[in-house]
Amino acid sequence: MVLLVQLEIKGMKFPLDRKYYTKDGAHIWLKQERNLVKIGMDAFAAEMSKPLTAFIVNKGLVNSGEEIGSFESTKYIGKFHSPISGEIISVNEHVLINPQNINENPYKSWIAKIKPDKNQKTNKYIIEGKDKILNWINKEIKKFY
Amino acid sequence: MKLFNLGELNWRQSQLIYHALAYKNIESLVFHSSKDSFMCVGLHQDPRDELDIDYCKKNSIGIFRREIGGGTVLLDKDQIFYNLILNRNHPKVPFVPESFFRRFLQPVIDTFNELGIPAKYRSLCDLVVNGKKISGNGGGEIGECKVLGGSILLDFDYERMANSMLLPADIRSRFVDLMKSNLTTVEKELGFIPKKEKICSILSNKFEELIGPLTNGSVDLEINKKMAELDKHYSSDSWLYQRGTKQIGKEVKVCEGVYIFYNVFDTKNGSLEVTFEIKDNIVKKITFSDSKIMSNITSKKFQENFANKIYDRNKLYNEIIEFLKNNGVISAT
Repeated sequence: MVLLVQLEIKGMKFPLDRKYYTKDGAHIWLKQERNLVKIGMDAFAAEMSKPLTAFIVNKGLVNSGEEIGSFESTKYIGKFHSPISGEIISVNEHVLINPQNINENPYKSWIAKIKPDKNQKTNKYIIEGKDKILNWINKEIKKFY
Repeated sequence: MKLFNLGELNWRQSQLIYHALAYKNIESLVFHSSKDSFMCVGLHQDPRDELDIDYCKKNSIGIFRREIGGGTVLLDKDQIFYNLILNRNHPKVPFVPESFFRRFLQPVIDTFNELGIPAKYRSLCDLVVNGKKISGNGGGEIGECKVLGGSILLDFDYERMANSMLLPADIRSRFVDLMKSNLTTVEKELGFIPKKEKICSILSNKFEELIGPLTNGSVDLEINKKMAELDKHYSSDSWLYQRGTKQIGKEVKVCEGVYIFYNVFDTKNGSLEVTFEIKDNIVKKITFSDSKIMSNITSKKFQENFANKIYDRNKLYNEIIEFLKNNGVISAT
């Protein structure tokens, strides 16, 4: 039996080793790394926002869904939100200076690391697993293609 | 949907109005002009890197940092500003930025055409006439809304724009020359400026064809309250001088595809400023501040290596460093 490690839809890859934040077309991946959660843009957002020319993220305490930064693509500003509550303790300066790395390799280009609050509420906008991700991406593609 | 046809506003109000409408989630179309000149920078820019702040202060040129994208612009009474504010879930709002601009700039193109100016869309979000920019645009998310902001250049003060920017004298004069050859205005195209009311009336008709009927709106107490609240925030130093994006080298944008890129390098023989003029995203002209820093052979090799290259700021910068190291102009460490 072959273990499925990622979905590939219209040339965009969605690794199954992480969760996805889906609120209002956010398209943010989350991956637990020891006691921290790394976040970044998924392949759909990376494709739609080509080329990223600027990205700013602020450190500090955040609530789930709160705006933590902004990005610019083709003179258009998008807002970047935190999928969870906690404290942003680190931002990826290399990626923020070269945001096109996100377009080229979204899953290696983590944007921020968050120390999550101990008491996280269940968030219906955070999904994981093949079926849920497939269903969500297919809906998004219908909207935008 | 509401139409706010506001005529001339003071410069701060002209920016506050569309931010307030977006934060109030009021889907609307806004037309206005600014009575006074001011410099407006994009969200990811820091005025300290972009503007000659002393010159602006001495000449009563205001400074505003907006929440939508794009670069530094001089805005004044010789322009008509338009803002389209739509909820992000509006069925006509595309997700991809370029599609957003292409769709919502069509009414502006149609307006120019009706005035007898053959304007066309040029990616990413300029409108051009015979290759010259006549309208600049930016967009972004504010609150629950997606916002388009742009202007129609009726006339343009090239020198005032260049003097307000933080540029070395030689770059400033080249910037003026490049603006004059790459920007046009309604006055230049028609030989006269039609009344602003007429242009706004055509604009509203063209937008109605795309987004449906418009009813006249007025700036009520609630909107005024929001504007006052935002004014406090946007005039604070912590907002205005917030850290911008870290950039490599200095880029001055004239219009889409036309730039001046320059940087000063500390070489073994002193400081060397290298300047690139870019047209259609291709390096067209390279100049050095000091012809003695590099040998004639190295200068020639530099020209051969970089002339006619496709312009990519970060890539270009890294390649220059590599070249200067490989040719012993700067230290390899």
